[in-house]
Amino acid sequence: MSRPVDEYVEAEVHRLLTEHPDLAEQGLILHRREGTLLVQGEVESPYRRDQIHRLISQRFPDVRIECDIGVIRAQAPVDAEEL
Amino acid sequence: MTGAQGSGPVVRVAAVGDVHIDQDVVGRYRPALEQLGGCADVLLLAGDLTRHGTAAEAACVAREFRDLPVPVIAVLGNHDYHCDQVPAVTSTLRDAGITVLECETAVVETSGLTLAVVGAKGFGGGFAGRHASMFGEPEMKAFIRTTCEVSDRLGEGLRAAAACDVLVALTHYSPVPDTLVGEPLEIYPFLGSYLLAQAIDSAPTTLAVHGHAHKGSERGMTAGGVRVRNVAHPVIKQAYSVFNLSPRAAQIPVPT
Repeated sequence: MSRPVDEYVEAEVHRLLTEHPDLAEQGLILHRREGTLLVQGEVESPYRRDQIHRLISQRFPDVRIECDIGVIRAQAPVDAEEL
Repeated sequence: MTGAQGSGPVVRVAAVGDVHIDQDVVGRYRPALEQLGGCADVLLLAGDLTRHGTAAEAACVAREFRDLPVPVIAVLGNHDYHCDQVPAVTSTLRDAGITVLECETAVVETSGLTLAVVGAKGFGGGFAGRHASMFGEPEMKAFIRTTCEVSDRLGEGLRAAAACDVLVALTHYSPVPDTLVGEPLEIYPFLGSYLLAQAIDSAPTTLAVHGHAHKGSERGMTAGGVRVRNVAHPVIKQAYSVFNLSPRAAQIPVPT
């Protein structure tokens, strides 16, 4: 049986993202949506994206988690701003 | 280097913050960084260079940003302080040729112009009318005292460099709320302070660059008319942004 996704679960996941020694992610957004906790945002590598999903699922095995996390592009700019 | 309109020489400043480099990121920025010589005279790093502020992560940053065709000037961010290894982080970066500023100034001569970069991590507190005060518990007073002290030193550095052709303030925390739009209002006091803007406005600053606010916005302006740019990597979504800065004498005054 799944644990209800309430504000305390959301807060615990938020703290995990920041305070877990393998994560330190402060830029992700959490949404509670129809019994699922949706994690959205962008990180610096595919490894971090997968690590976040894995660690949240391990810590909260009875919470339905969905991750929609992208990897930030790192290409050279195509223009400059004149100031 | 001449500006896009051919109107006169400019200083080309590339900048990015919040790259949060560890082993898994090494090499991602390098292809874009190797193109810097064609578009920039200097690269600024606006803090949060690492994930946890360890010397090992700093070595990864050093590997990514060393031996570039332009000087690299950095400030640290709150992540770079997390593991209490600031001296080791700083020395690792400096050993790789990266200039690390904390209430200090770096001067770069380029295209016949003098660029001064005054850098400080900065700190929080909030914005005018809603700023925390040096009042109450010792922890609260220490918080705001830190912001006051770093802002004072930032202002002193900027005023001391006022004779340079182009003057840039480099911080991790934001001096204005404009570039925080997109972040929850509740956390603004932890993202920056108006005291940094007041310091920036106390000198003829050309541009203020910061990071820290991953969900913020790119563009803002201080009350004194200084352009502010949030270059946090999740905001600019490219390896770095480039700003072509005209010397002050060539600038059109901003209406107030």
